[in-house]
Amino acid sequence: MDKKKKLSPQNIALTVLLSLVSLVWIYPVFNIVINSLKENRFITTAGVFELPKSESFIGIANYIESINGMDFLRSFWYSLIITVSSVCLIMLCCSMAAWYVVRVNNLFAKIFYYLCIFSMVVPFQMVMFTLANTADRLHLNTPYNICVIYLGFGAGLAVFMFSGFVRSIPLEIEEAAMIDGCSPLQIYFHIIIPILKPTIISTAILDTMWVWNDYLLPTLVLDIKKYRTIPMAIQYFRGSFGTVNMGAMMASIVIDIVPIIVLYLICQKYIIEGVVAGAVKG
Amino acid sequence: MKMKKFFAMGLSAVLSLGVLAGCGNTGTATSAGTDGSTDTTASAAAANGAAGKVYYLNFKPEQDPQWQELAKTYTEKTGVPVTVVTAASGEYETTLMSEMAKSDAPTLFQVNGPVGLANWKDYCYDLSSAPIANELTSDAFALKDGDATYGIAYVIESYGIITNKKLLEKAGYKVEDINSFDKLKEVADDIQARKGELGVKGAFASTGMDGSSDWRFKTHLANLPIYYEYQKDGIGSTDAIKGEFLDKYKAVFDLYITDSTCDPKELAAKTGDDARAEFVNGEAVFYQNGSWEYSSLSEKFSDDDLAMIPIYFGVDDAKQGLCTGTENFWCVNKEAAQEDIDATLEFINWCVTSEEGTKCMGEDMGFVIPFKKAVESKNVFVKQDNEITASGKTPVSWNFPTMPSENWKNGVGSALTAYAAGTGDWDGVVTAFVDGWKTEYALSAH
Amino acid sequence: MIGKMTKKYWPIFILPTFAAFLIGFVWPFIWGIYLSFCKFTTVGNVKFVGFDNYKNIFIDNTFTHAFGFSVKFTIVSSVLINLLAFIVALLLTRGLKGTNIFRTVFFMPNLIGGIVLGYIWQTILNGVLSVMGQPLLQLSEKNGFWGMIILLCWQQIGYMMIIYIAGLNNVSPDYIEAAKIDGATDFETLIKIKVPMIMPSITICTFLTLTNGFKMFDQNISLTAGEPAKNSQLLALNIYDTFYARSGPQWKGIGQAKAVVFFLVVVIISLIQLKFTRSKEVQA
Repeated sequence: MDKKKKLSPQNIALTVLLSLVSLVWIYPVFNIVINSLKENRFITTAGVFELPKSESFIGIANYIESINGMDFLRSFWYSLIITVSSVCLIMLCCSMAAWYVVRVNNLFAKIFYYLCIFSMVVPFQMVMFTLANTADRLHLNTPYNICVIYLGFGAGLAVFMFSGFVRSIPLEIEEAAMIDGCSPLQIYFHIIIPILKPTIISTAILDTMWVWNDYLLPTLVLDIKKYRTIPMAIQYFRGSFGTVNMGAMMASIVIDIVPIIVLYLICQKYIIEGVVAGAVKG
Repeated sequence: MKMKKFFAMGLSAVLSLGVLAGCGNTGTATSAGTDGSTDTTASAAAANGAAGKVYYLNFKPEQDPQWQELAKTYTEKTGVPVTVVTAASGEYETTLMSEMAKSDAPTLFQVNGPVGLANWKDYCYDLSSAPIANELTSDAFALKDGDATYGIAYVIESYGIITNKKLLEKAGYKVEDINSFDKLKEVADDIQARKGELGVKGAFASTGMDGSSDWRFKTHLANLPIYYEYQKDGIGSTDAIKGEFLDKYKAVFDLYITDSTCDPKELAAKTGDDARAEFVNGEAVFYQNGSWEYSSLSEKFSDDDLAMIPIYFGVDDAKQGLCTGTENFWCVNKEAAQEDIDATLEFINWCVTSEEGTKCMGEDMGFVIPFKKAVESKNVFVKQDNEITASGKTPVSWNFPTMPSENWKNGVGSALTAYAAGTGDWDGVVTAFVDGWKTEYALSAH
Repeated sequence: MIGKMTKKYWPIFILPTFAAFLIGFVWPFIWGIYLSFCKFTTVGNVKFVGFDNYKNIFIDNTFTHAFGFSVKFTIVSSVLINLLAFIVALLLTRGLKGTNIFRTVFFMPNLIGGIVLGYIWQTILNGVLSVMGQPLLQLSEKNGFWGMIILLCWQQIGYMMIIYIAGLNNVSPDYIEAAKIDGATDFETLIKIKVPMIMPSITICTFLTLTNGFKMFDQNISLTAGEPAKNSQLLALNIYDTFYARSGPQWKGIGQAKAVVFFLVVVIISLIQLKFTRSKEVQA
């Protein structure tokens, strides 16, 4: 690629065009932010494009209301704990399982591997009722142990991605370590994990995006008497109390997407690598 | 050496998991601390051991805070944990479906009448010998199937056209002037024509067809054509509606959307909040809704400024009263543990007999409850309903529990929305109403 | 050698995942197949009814409609997303100023969840439609359809763009130079060299967009909720709606049977895809 292209008129025109498209691309998010600063009755169907004026501007009142009224911080905490615990668990367990599957490669391992691939194509609606029921019977219905369900349902993709990568690791390194007297666990933690690190990061990112944004699984599985994740809370905003508090809903949307966007700006490189790696394997 | 290192690794892995779990536990503690009901539930459950508990899946979002409060009071008094969960509006059936499948299913839920009962009969505990059944003022409020009583009505409500008296007077009319559909239309048209001068946006608050508001029209307003057809044919339900009075339904709906605060095209996205806000802010004179609105309207209006008039339908206006009835029947989950059933029966009995319970239901929630120990309601709409009935008019009964399914209501709602916006015609509404009725009844027979 | 030694460590390496996999997938899946032959409301009383549920799938015409709607939606969205993502990727591999910023911006919507995306776009699209005096999303199947297309494009163009950029960056500049020396125009280089070289990326993206479109649920429930009158229901939402929103004991079994059919269709798409990928890779 010749990076130092001359500033041809054509390229300048394209840059301008892309800049405009980028602005359009960001606009939806910007629009939510401006509406979250408006008083409820000014958020009308046709009036969503108006900037807050002195009479409609109410500062952060919507944010306060969404945090107090809907207990949004608790939802935030639940979403956070579910995402962190599930992703950590999936990374640890599935990378171990993938290594075992590739290296042992007996009948059981093969069956497990093909089941994992199979599970990737099964739509969630196929298992939604029975999964919710199984989780309920095993009491895996709190934010603190729902990660087991996520491990089970997310194992397919993770095992598939990890085993693809493990296959490319030359066997010699591990055999040398074994001759030195390392146990499989030592080999795994000292040799495999460091080599797998890039794949772990990519997979972790894909899974984080999935779990953080997941709506239907927690809705059906979690004990709704006590717990509500952010997507559930936002959906509940729409219908609860026979009314729709648009302002507070906009504010919650902002609270939901700000952490992801910040995380994205920080780990952009990994995220994009993760997408590429995931796509090449998937 | 290597073994040690491995152990260190393993240990750190375990530790990190432990930290996660630890975070989790702190989380429970803090969250329980911030939320009153969870807290009491947890501690009471611990104190009570094997005693029963109550899990109420509430249908009425408007009264959610009051129910939470009442549950808390009950738990403080008796130590029996009561959890109240309110389904988002329009999602009661979905929530009930998914919650009933759980091991910790609701012990107390509700059905809307015979049609709803047909779906849940297998899960309803026979309440004939429950104490609450004897507290009912009339046997008519028990939902029966054969000899068994499966549901108990817990609230009687009325709806009509809520009117801002002050604005009406400003326009030169009195509530008493409006005694028929034609008169209502005349007044509304006049107000609409002079809206600038009167400082309102329209005669009627927006006929919002968003999910938070469309039930006012697809269910409540749709009751009237069904009522008059049942009256004419002398029946109480049918599996094939003829739709004889649908032209009247159209006339009222047309009036609503024409003499309105906004362009009919925008109605699809208008919410219940929007309509209420318009009425509260004096931007509209009329607002079709029910006695349950009293608690939110009384903050802004004095009793003297509010009136509820019948939704005159142009059939028998001289005799027509408000629409009064119930679609809220409590059912107790038969599949629950016996101690939970007992606890639930005690709880509902307490709600309708104790001082706190009746006061909360009657005053805070603004309900008229059909029980002997009910306190007199302060709800001005309820008083007006009694006056209207006393003056010789007949209340219109609630026939929407005989509507074939939620699906039917949604079909009518969608057709009405399309009609209002001009993307569909009235024939669509008729089809959804008449043909949809037949199809849905046939489907539920499967 | 490693294999032999590791084998007996199965309780540590594979058991946790396998157990969770049984709970979270295998058992619910098998049970789900069984329940599609049953009439039930809760698992407490399940009655075996044979193929009745499968016959009753078409009892109301919503499934057929949702199926057609999903197919149409999947095809249109896949074509548009891939085409636009490819164009953007081409532009962003020209070494323009600000390429990194553009890439960051275009990818961003991907991180936002389906429910939130739906509400973000509902606000905007309804605003635009109302200013234009057009029926709102909830009112018109057509507007709902294009609304979902716009939403999905906004969400996924960035993702596919990244994959195409990776593919384009792997095309050796030598080939392009050689083609230029031979006098090929930009367009010829694109069609004759770039496109064949990034065929694997194209296959991957096609597969991803097809399955994403076909399985879409969250965006559907929040953007249009299936309105008007279930006309904008995609398959996944139709199944959910049949299963949970319709009362009466007959509906759950029918919903489960619909889910099995849905699953089979997804499997068929995947198998075709797999075959296609393999044959293309041999060519390349």
